[in-house]
Amino acid sequence: MKKTKTAVPKQKISGAKLWAKIYKYRGFYLMFLPVFVFAIIFSYLPMLGIVLGFTDYNGIKDPTFVGFKHFERMFKMANFWSAFANTIVISLVKLILTTLFAVIVSLLLNEIVNLHFKKVVQTIIYLPHFMSWVVTASIFSLILAPTNHGLVNTFLVNIGVLDANNMIYFLGSEKWWRFAYYIINIWKETGWQTVIFMATLAGINTELYEAAAIDGAGRWNKMRFITFPALANTILTVFILNLAKVMNLFESAFVLQNDAVLGTANVLETYIYYQTFNSGAIPNYGYTTAIGLFKSLVGCVLVLVCNQWSKKVREGRGIV
Amino acid sequence: MKTKKKFPVFRIVNGLIFIILALIIIIPMWKILVDSFDLKTAYGMKLWPENFGLAGYVSVFRNPTLFRPLVISFITTILGTILALTLSTLGAYVLIQWEMPGRTFFANFLLFTMIFNGGMIPTYLVLSSMHLTNTLLVVILFPALNVYNLVLMRNFFEGIPQSLFESATLDGCSPMQTFIRIVLPMSKAALASIGLMYAVTYWNDYTHYKLYITDSKWYNFQMKLRSVIMGSDLPQSTGGATENTVKNAAIIVVIIPFMLLYPFLQKYFVKGVNIGAVKE
Repeated sequence: MKKTKTAVPKQKISGAKLWAKIYKYRGFYLMFLPVFVFAIIFSYLPMLGIVLGFTDYNGIKDPTFVGFKHFERMFKMANFWSAFANTIVISLVKLILTTLFAVIVSLLLNEIVNLHFKKVVQTIIYLPHFMSWVVTASIFSLILAPTNHGLVNTFLVNIGVLDANNMIYFLGSEKWWRFAYYIINIWKETGWQTVIFMATLAGINTELYEAAAIDGAGRWNKMRFITFPALANTILTVFILNLAKVMNLFESAFVLQNDAVLGTANVLETYIYYQTFNSGAIPNYGYTTAIGLFKSLVGCVLVLVCNQWSKKVREGRGIV
Repeated sequence: MKTKKKFPVFRIVNGLIFIILALIIIIPMWKILVDSFDLKTAYGMKLWPENFGLAGYVSVFRNPTLFRPLVISFITTILGTILALTLSTLGAYVLIQWEMPGRTFFANFLLFTMIFNGGMIPTYLVLSSMHLTNTLLVVILFPALNVYNLVLMRNFFEGIPQSLFESATLDGCSPMQTFIRIVLPMSKAALASIGLMYAVTYWNDYTHYKLYITDSKWYNFQMKLRSVIMGSDLPQSTGGATENTVKNAAIIVVIIPFMLLYPFLQKYFVKGVNIGAVKE
């Protein structure tokens, strides 16, 4: 949070004055009430629920206190550690790849001279960002299907790379799933990520380019010595902002995964989901709450670390 | 000086790169569009449907199990967007009252929800103990308070000259009147941008339905599309459409409202990103 605009002098105001001030602002408190109620019900009440992580609770009997039992069990579970590692690896690789592609596309986009062409291109590459993950997963499950409907497989067969009887089930094999997942993410998000980079590029003083041209700089050198350094800070900012959200990975993985690939595709949030709602047994809400608590804590530490980092590189601006 | 006229290799290559990029985005969607109109199962990539027919779409719109989720999507999107915009503008307006006692507390109170959350299961248990699960209320109310967008809105409100508020107060306007007569009319651009982001979020919502709604009666179109694609819930095809045609038509139906509006709305989305970015 940024500092307030007008520095209010910290002086003791008498109780009566404070009440007078509060009375003066009564209308505003009333306006804040709905926001307050929503935050209490949908954010703070669930936070109180984390105590369930220290109990056995199945939704029928009252919770019984069990201390750190669930955490001990969790840290011994191979599935838990694999989900944890998958979360980190998938999120980070995805973040690095989409950022990298977005930077390259932005730099090239910036070189397009014809403004109409540029506008058409931008309109098209932003589009997939607005499609839901369900739609994206639906499109790609059809496109990548290992059948004659599957565009990619039929293409690979036609150019002779694949045999028609040996089509690849990209989203259903542990070997290919992550690769497909990254490609789909790049397809969906690269374009939209360029928006923020393009805004930075638009702010570069054109005189710099003119001066560089006089000094004999070609296109490559201008890109290297003017455009890229100007972008560097934005790249870092985007990276930090997204790094803070690394633990939240859920929907995109959930809609693209299936039982066959859970070894490489299961992330913490989907692991919690399956353990609670899909395990077949009566759920132990205590255990899955404990996993969620662990996830939230790691996420919380990440946000705070990223916040400090952000303050360093962005002259005091945090991310929260 | 390197300004001598030469064959613009770079420009041509760069142009080609973007034509290819655009094709990579378009081809998967085009394939779905073509197949949705093709009554026979289509193999590979075709420019146009071979056996043109609307049966896939007829089956989506005639079929009550598909039409009802579509209506639910529209209703929750409209109500949710209005509610979410109301909450974020109210909250943002209160957060720019710098002299208000407790302002910093309120700001931190909201920001804390961005740092820490109770997690999937406690949230589910709270909502279910309040009997909100398996109602449309949960998918409208739960995502409505978005602190990130509230902060964007606050950044925008900060740009409104304070003197306007002061003169409104002197003229006897209550805070609510100032809010409605001055703040909102001056924020049309931000309202459009952030409102559109909310609309897209509500329209695309899948996670909240998946978590909190088990009764297929309350499915939105994303949920329905998901079950159609997974093959567990294929509607009765009519007029000779194959299963594949119906699947493709269902995908097109859920993206078409947005696709039609998108070219006109694109600039507002881009502005929305920059509300946060420009503010340094």
